Amino acid sequence: MTWLVWRLHRTQLYIAAALLAAFTVLMLVTGLQMASQYHSAVIACTASHSCANLGSTLFLGSHAVGFLVIMTLGVPALFGLFWGGPLVAAEFETGTGQFAWMQSITRKRWLAVTIGWTLLAAAAWGGAVSGLVTWWSGPDNALQLDRFKPGRFDIMGIVPVGYALFAVALGVCAGALLRRTMPALAVTLGGFIVVRSVVALWLRPHYMSAVTVTHTLLSGYTPTGSSWQLAQGILNPAGQLLPNPNGAAIDGIPIGFLPSACAATGNGAAGPTPACRQALDAFHAFVTYQPASRYWAFQGIETGIFVALAAALVAVTAVVVLRRDA
Amino acid sequence: MITVQTVTDAAAAIRTSGLSKRYRRVRALSECTITVPEGRISALIGPNGAGKTTLLRLLAGLTRPTAGEVTVNGGTPRQDPAFLAGIGYLAQEIPLYRRLSAEDHIRAGAHLNPHWDGESVRERLTALTIPLDRAVGTLSGGQHAQVALALTLAKRPRLLLLDEPVAALDPLARRNFLAILADAVAAGGLTVVMSSHLVADLERVCDHIVMLAASRVQLCGDIEGLLAEHRLLVGPRKDISAIERDHQVVQVTLTPRQTTLLVRLNGPVIDPAFEAGDVSLEDLVLAYMGQDIPSAQAPLSSIGEN
Repeated sequence: MTWLVWRLHRTQLYIAAALLAAFTVLMLVTGLQMASQYHSAVIACTASHSCANLGSTLFLGSHAVGFLVIMTLGVPALFGLFWGGPLVAAEFETGTGQFAWMQSITRKRWLAVTIGWTLLAAAAWGGAVSGLVTWWSGPDNALQLDRFKPGRFDIMGIVPVGYALFAVALGVCAGALLRRTMPALAVTLGGFIVVRSVVALWLRPHYMSAVTVTHTLLSGYTPTGSSWQLAQGILNPAGQLLPNPNGAAIDGIPIGFLPSACAATGNGAAGPTPACRQALDAFHAFVTYQPASRYWAFQGIETGIFVALAAALVAVTAVVVLRRDA
Repeated sequence: MITVQTVTDAAAAIRTSGLSKRYRRVRALSECTITVPEGRISALIGPNGAGKTTLLRLLAGLTRPTAGEVTVNGGTPRQDPAFLAGIGYLAQEIPLYRRLSAEDHIRAGAHLNPHWDGESVRERLTALTIPLDRAVGTLSGGQHAQVALALTLAKRPRLLLLDEPVAALDPLARRNFLAILADAVAAGGLTVVMSSHLVADLERVCDHIVMLAASRVQLCGDIEGLLAEHRLLVGPRKDISAIERDHQVVQVTLTPRQTTLLVRLNGPVIDPAFEAGDVSLEDLVLAYMGQDIPSAQAPLSSIGEN
């Protein structure tokens, strides 16, 4: 059975291997350049004591390569479309299933071997791309402290492997249910985008309860490392959230929300009166965020979600292929 | 009693009872009860849409029945390597992987079957000058069918189920293939059920017939026995109720002066006005196809085109 799987899909595998090799070369060459650029910039800024604003002054690499790296967001979907969708659908559509399933091999075994190798290939390729991107982004992550940011979190670490498994399983399942390739591909693409968006936008912030730090207006607070800031704002003495300043403001408080003691204070150069300053002390600012130390926990949870979804889809596929008439 | 049952089961390659299949509102096969003894070449005949493909797929285990029982090679069709090894099935669409060559299919078969005879496929295709190394999608329809038939035989099944296997072949290739089939059956251990519209071809090799029309079995048995049981009665135009009382009248053809009856005999025909003649397989098939169908001409014309 493995031989047939290999024979049927080897061309695609060669193409995938060639693309991965090209991507590897690109990542290695540009990644090494970026690493040395970063290294010398750190040495230079340490000498001049100006490392604090290195993140806003130093740009690493090129826009084109950076764009390509962001585009790896779509790589799992490609596995779903090219490897997952046609896997079972094409057997029904072209009738070749009637050849494969009338050999001396059960449909169960056929399915297990076929899906098994495809999932393995998707995990391997997904892991390789993600590994390269993670390594390549090392200096940039150190510079920007934003590896938790949606869009960057999704292309590094282990989550791309979970996405790849999910995309392939979704494609296979859609193909088994619809039995036609094109509709299966449409469902795969749509389903992948919807599920990924729902998880990234609505579920991910809540994997662990966020940390909220309250501080006085003047002291300020910045979470350390690559944390993920979810919300920030200013609370009045009654604990109500003030709207974002949309014009004149003092210490981030919109003019209209200033305490009465500050009524005399306009935009004059004099600044707040001592009475006003005292009244402002009753206001507080807060930051809600996921600490940088939770990065791998979040990676693990999200990967777990997508692996579980993939397993459920494979189970549905098995029931559909084994129970329904071939 | 039990012993008798076992003996008959062992001698039957196929035994179905009340086998039915519905697809939502469509009745594809109704109350099909047939027996095909081992070692026969059975012709599965019927108009388009009669349920031939459904019956073959039920026997192969690709489709599950909605009602009734089916026993093939002594067991119920199931997902089990030993059962599957005993069945060779070739679908009407002749499904092969278009981008793979015949040689690729032969090697795949070797990986997937216990009694695979890949050498026989190579020999046959070489004799037919069909290239082994070209993608089968680039072969002609007839060559494509030859590859599929050779692969199906290479599995060395005990029961071969062929859905219109010769439709794509030219007359010479057809005769050739049927001869190979007859040889394989004569060598022993093989039973064949093949559907086709080409009665003349079937007549040459088949010794058993299963006839379906409108999803029901019309006729099932040894061709020789069935031909012996039926007579064509030709006589003047007259009341036939006496004949209808004694025998089963399958088909009545009336001309202004003459009555032609195809009857299944229940004894000798006494009426001296009628002259009895032998029936051919084609007469029989056409007569039964016309039965039980509101517009009898439709299936007749569909058979006639071949």
